[in-house]
Amino acid sequence: MTMLRVRDVTVRFGGIVALDGVSLDLNRGEILGLIGPNGAGKTTLFNCISGVIRPDAGAMFFEGRSLKFAPHERARLGIARTFQNLQLWASMTVQENLTVPMDALGGRNTFSDALHLPFSTYAERASAERARAILHVLELDDYARSLAGDLPAGIQRRVEIARALAVRPQLLLLDEPAAGLDARETEHLAELLHTVRERFHVSMLLVDHDMSLVLPVSDYVYVLDFGKVLAKGRPSAIQNDPKVIAAYLGEESEKTDEVLSATRRHQEAPLLEVKGLAAGYGHLEVIRDVNLTVCPGEVVACIGANGAGKTTTLRAISGMIHPRSGKVTFSGRDVTGQTSEQISRQGLLHIPEGRGLFPNLSVEDTLRLVSNSIGKEPDLATAYRLFPKLKERRHQAVGTLSGGEQQMVALARAVLARPRLVMVDEMSQGLAPTVVRQLFETIRMMRDEGIAVLIVEQFVESALEVADRACVFEHGTIGHSGSAADLRADRKLISGSYLGTAVASIAGNGNGHHADPALMEIVSVKMPAALKRTLEERAENEGRPTGAVVMELLEKVKR
Amino acid sequence: MTWSSRLTVRVLLALLAFAVLARLPAGLDVGFQFDAALAVVWGFGILSLVLLTGYVGQVSLCQATFAGVGAYAAGMMVSTYHAGYLVAVGVAVLAAFALGVVVGLPALRLSGITLAIVTLGIALVFDRYVFQDAAFAWFTGGSGGWRVDGATMFGLQMDSSRHLLAAYIVLVALFCVVALLMVNLHDSGAGRRFRAIRDSELAASTMGVNLTRYKLLAFGLSAAIAGLGGSFYPLVAGSVSPQPFWLFTSLQLAAIAVLMGVRYVPAAALGGVFMAFVPDVLTRFGHGTVGKFTYDISFDWFQIAVGVLLIIQLILLPDGVWGDLRSRVAHATARARYTARVTKKEQVRVA
Repeated sequence: MTMLRVRDVTVRFGGIVALDGVSLDLNRGEILGLIGPNGAGKTTLFNCISGVIRPDAGAMFFEGRSLKFAPHERARLGIARTFQNLQLWASMTVQENLTVPMDALGGRNTFSDALHLPFSTYAERASAERARAILHVLELDDYARSLAGDLPAGIQRRVEIARALAVRPQLLLLDEPAAGLDARETEHLAELLHTVRERFHVSMLLVDHDMSLVLPVSDYVYVLDFGKVLAKGRPSAIQNDPKVIAAYLGEESEKTDEVLSATRRHQEAPLLEVKGLAAGYGHLEVIRDVNLTVCPGEVVACIGANGAGKTTTLRAISGMIHPRSGKVTFSGRDVTGQTSEQISRQGLLHIPEGRGLFPNLSVEDTLRLVSNSIGKEPDLATAYRLFPKLKERRHQAVGTLSGGEQQMVALARAVLARPRLVMVDEMSQGLAPTVVRQLFETIRMMRDEGIAVLIVEQFVESALEVADRACVFEHGTIGHSGSAADLRADRKLISGSYLGTAVASIAGNGNGHHADPALMEIVSVKMPAALKRTLEERAENEGRPTGAVVMELLEKVKR
Repeated sequence: MTWSSRLTVRVLLALLAFAVLARLPAGLDVGFQFDAALAVVWGFGILSLVLLTGYVGQVSLCQATFAGVGAYAAGMMVSTYHAGYLVAVGVAVLAAFALGVVVGLPALRLSGITLAIVTLGIALVFDRYVFQDAAFAWFTGGSGGWRVDGATMFGLQMDSSRHLLAAYIVLVALFCVVALLMVNLHDSGAGRRFRAIRDSELAASTMGVNLTRYKLLAFGLSAAIAGLGGSFYPLVAGSVSPQPFWLFTSLQLAAIAVLMGVRYVPAAALGGVFMAFVPDVLTRFGHGTVGKFTYDISFDWFQIAVGVLLIIQLILLPDGVWGDLRSRVAHATARARYTARVTKKEQVRVA
């Protein structure tokens, strides 16, 4: 019954013990959730099981046999994995991505392949057939011929799962499949995982931060903390386990509406003023007519679905890309079209998605680098006061820190530069709930120090708690804006804009991939099932016929 | 398009290419005929990089060394063992394959710049030591190198001085066959495994691709292709010397491969022609006088030209000359087709 048995696995990186005698059992047919704070060792354990890291001690058994080291041997046994940081073969089509594992395991011959012998041709057809079947279950039929690297991140995550299924696995290892997905997409993924289990008879090991995915999907959950198993049990039990709550989930924050999100009235002139901003990549215009203001000492949140233009807006403001039209004024001066260096010198800092850190520098050296921009030695004590954890790690290389700690370094570095406005892109992506809460706490502290903050967030709820005001992005422009408290009250408004932008995110995400004409074609002609459902729901919400909604969206897509 | 029909098209294209290429140098003088044969030899060198760098993403700066090993092995077989040239070519290819696998061993652990430096070291060792030291006279024929006279193949005279064109035609035929196999390989299972290693080694290994096996195979096959080209060098030039296979040729092969588009098989033909003809044209016609001004663009200018072109290409045609032209043409046709369809729809609507 037990399919995977992990016994006392220990992994050390230099002096750090990443895994300390971890044992774990996974039964056939089970979906096993693995959660824990950043740096708890989830990814390390995951890499041990998939054969990417060799443990220093301990043993692993699959179907009663001891596991050999090489990763491709594990694939042969029926263990397949996905990657959190998307490792699709970007220059190959989705279908080719799926056929690689199939014929890598089929024992075909390079020479017969090059000669196109009938044997190879036959196997080729069989692989293509199976690939189509898998794509169909994952609702990816329409993407079979697209280049994997051109697809939006959400679709790429599904292709990762499809490719892993092509290994014909008995055990599927899923590494943060919900990272970067919004609430709706996550819900859909949960359904999909159940379908996959039924159709392909696989067991799964699921690592994710998103409790709305792990808890409903898993049959059993392990919680790691500091390289050890902190708790294990059924999801309902884990949810109420006091140890787990303390270490990871954190208390449900009370809705403190009073001081925090009360709209501040500022008499002073706005710090940042953006008027009619338009920008894009290549021949695609991603944002247009964006108007936005941030007052001194104010927290403004930008929310909206993937591909709605939030990131591009930040990039155009900070000078990372050149605005096509419009005007950006910062503390009374026109900074439109200046380089990011010039803009940052005036006190407007941008922490991009991925944080822009140097992996080989130590924490302390990274922070000291700030002296370059402020012209004097920074006051490290301030940084360590705000982020006590960084003091412990100050001699460690940034690249070896966990994701949450790296985000702290990025924030600390920004604070030390004494900016007047900090823009943070996707601050909480891939981070555990407790860490996210800490980070939002720091945002609050930054505001108390008089620094204005503009954040882009997927965690709408948390963002609106911290923010004074919020802008909801829709199709590359700001659909609504207002006080955070009002927006929190008006949930429908927000979810509406999330649905609307689904079309835009399929036609081309905002991260620099230009819209593929074929993709536009798919959007307009062969509507994928998920999109169709979204549209129908939207029509119902608005009390209009579906056709009217589709026509309106098509108009927007055309523009 | 189905597999078999795609294969038929490819075979026809290869035959057409052969028919055209085989006739081209017939009208040229002997000097240019020699260049044409040399172009195919270096064409194989670049083809070997298309496989290794273009398909598998591995860096190598010692492809000329593989060609040199092929050339010396063929020379040795003919001169010392009086083997037929076909046998000599076979031995040369095997020798190059073996060396390629050995060079591939460090690639199991290294990649990028470190791998480039290791292969550079190998090129240097062969260039300065193996090809020149008396200890390897059995392999290199001593300081004079091997002289190959009166070689035969398929019972035909293949002597360089009188039957250069015959050797050229055999070379071109082989090139077309290998190019066809390479194109087939690209879309086959093994080719996808190679490309998977290029795009993400981590994903490839966890999806069941045996990295050790496929990296060594790639290095071996690549060296074999370079060696196959090199093994014809004694036949074409009449003798072998270390000079054509020195370190700098390896660098030049890599530079020209990138220039022409390292992911595309036809780029190898372009690159070979470029590498063989341009220096010769420069030496022949690169000097003269225009009015009072005397100019002399010698061979040295070729190296500078390659460097400058490489910089221009990396800015304007990042996918190489062939790669970018190809995608531009494809883009233009797709757009034309799209607009045609849209206007048709509109016309229907108006009507």
